[in-house]
Amino acid sequence: MNHFTFSWGNNYIAVRALLRAVGHKLQRPPRINASVIERGIQAAHPFLCFSGKLVLGQLQQQVTEGAERMVFMSSLGPEACRCADTSEYMESLFCGVCPAFSAHRIGGSGFDSALANLRAHFGPGVRKSQCVRGYAHFFRKLDLIHKVEKCCAALRCLSSDPLAVRLLETEALARVDEANGWLSMWNMSRWFDRRIAALPKRDGPPRLRIGVVGGEHILSELGDIMQKLKTIAETGVLLDWRGGFRQLARADDRQRAPLKQKCRTYLTESVSTSELYSCAHAIDFVHEGYDGLLHIYAFGCMPQTALKPILQRLANDNDVPMLSLSIGDRFADEGLENRVEAFIDLLDARRPTQGA
Amino acid sequence: MKPTIGIPQAMLHWEFDGALARFVQALGHEILMSPATHRSIFERGKRLVLDELCFPVKVFMGHVAWLRAKEVDRILIPVIVGHENNQVFPCHLRTRLADLAVTLGVCSRERLFSPSFRFDANGLTFSGFLELGHQLGADSDEIAAAVPTAAAPLTTSSHEDRRTPARLRIALLGHPYVVRDSWVNGGVASKLRCLGCQVIEEPGLGFCPQGTGLHFDLAARTLTLARQWDRNRSIDGIIFLLPFNCGPDGDIARHMIETTQTPMLTLVLDELQSDGGVLTRLEAFVDQLSVVRGMQGASVT
Repeated sequence: MNHFTFSWGNNYIAVRALLRAVGHKLQRPPRINASVIERGIQAAHPFLCFSGKLVLGQLQQQVTEGAERMVFMSSLGPEACRCADTSEYMESLFCGVCPAFSAHRIGGSGFDSALANLRAHFGPGVRKSQCVRGYAHFFRKLDLIHKVEKCCAALRCLSSDPLAVRLLETEALARVDEANGWLSMWNMSRWFDRRIAALPKRDGPPRLRIGVVGGEHILSELGDIMQKLKTIAETGVLLDWRGGFRQLARADDRQRAPLKQKCRTYLTESVSTSELYSCAHAIDFVHEGYDGLLHIYAFGCMPQTALKPILQRLANDNDVPMLSLSIGDRFADEGLENRVEAFIDLLDARRPTQGA
Repeated sequence: MKPTIGIPQAMLHWEFDGALARFVQALGHEILMSPATHRSIFERGKRLVLDELCFPVKVFMGHVAWLRAKEVDRILIPVIVGHENNQVFPCHLRTRLADLAVTLGVCSRERLFSPSFRFDANGLTFSGFLELGHQLGADSDEIAAAVPTAAAPLTTSSHEDRRTPARLRIALLGHPYVVRDSWVNGGVASKLRCLGCQVIEEPGLGFCPQGTGLHFDLAARTLTLARQWDRNRSIDGIIFLLPFNCGPDGDIARHMIETTQTPMLTLVLDELQSDGGVLTRLEAFVDQLSVVRGMQGASVT
């Protein structure tokens, strides 16, 4: 049976692998473009975060094209955000357009709840072994997507053939999607490693190193914006982005404890979501001597809005320049380019001259 | 000598129904509560925080800034760490008020008391009071004796204003720190009373909704209340007080408005609202309700 979901950037590929393991299909979500964004703005309340508007626009487009059975992956815990278990809300939004619309959350805070959610949607015939296999594939593919995207972002700077890197990224993601089973995923990973090793290297170290932190949803969804940033990487600026959906999907208290310890100067003990990861990554970047921090988040994103002054404080305390980019529906590409260029110029100017 | 504790009369004060102030007093400390919100307090907060933060947070930071300038030894900003049921979660800004106050330079970490509080079905759990009490130097017996004092006036059912004869019964829907702070909500309750309406406010603490499928506690609370009041035929209208850029309410606002049968007026609250504008909208709403009620009365008779 065919299902649909929102894209999460390229992470829908991992959801597709999970569905495949239980004998179902997932259609490819439409790309985020001006039309999808406009649909989302129309459907959502103005105070909904920009990521939420993108999701609604993408879902609505698929519903109007005849899709009926929506699944969405969400853990159910503090690390989840508004998308956690909003089936009823989704149904109320789309049932007028499509009377047969149904929405189901897959995922859960543990194996039992994940299995229960799969069975609630796909029927009691889903076996435990299928659930184990599905989630194993899901997380392995999240890892592979993460590896491909982050390696390719860095390689834009480190390789002397950025065009080859772009092509490699596209092909690698297609191969991740096609891989079905442990062996083929392992082979894909090996293939990617070999291709990376074969890329021609740029002479000398990166001109600048910038740590990228921010909302996972916006960093993953907005291909156009990230493409522009990656183009900057091709001028010799290393962009390091250590986030990823895996950490949000699998976070537990044991994993969070060392992060909380690391962030204790800036974040008190409280419900911790993506801001904990962003803060921890920013601290790592600062300690590793990165030249600047780039904070990208969706307008209206509460965790990241709450984090913004905290990151500013962190940057001030350590004398590291930081640029915060709030992405919303009034965002202009030219504005992005100008601000990022000015930021790069500032970082360049701060670097000690080699002669001195 | 026991330290004087400053308590911001905003957000968590209203949400906790003043319990923290009573608790601190019961332990024998002097408190200094910031005054009722007014424009100059808000302006202080607005200058300190980011534009993107919601309206109540700006107000809150104004209160903290007011206290900072006074001779209080410590300022109390509790941290909400979650709900015992692990089904609903506080919004990120409410959990980060202490961090924001420090990083925005409103207050130093050393001057803060920020005990962690959880909610359960009955309200605030004992562990938060215990932590605060210990921070204040009290022993367990003193704390145990002070908690009932703090908890005693907590309200668990709807406030109903019965002072005025009911021309219309109107419920105020929104977060406690919006409904109860008359500057933030533009004095809606008093304006409605002047228009001859009976005002029903939301229940206080001890309300921990489940089953809405929503992530945020206050959004779940708002939606649950809206549904309850929607089923209550004696309520003529609902006024939804929506603070500017509130994420949780932004999630549900459209869904709730579209699925509620009882007439609903949404007032988006921010610093740009004018008294005249609010009054005009309330008058129009009350007039409409009166017409509807008159028509219903006519059809019954």
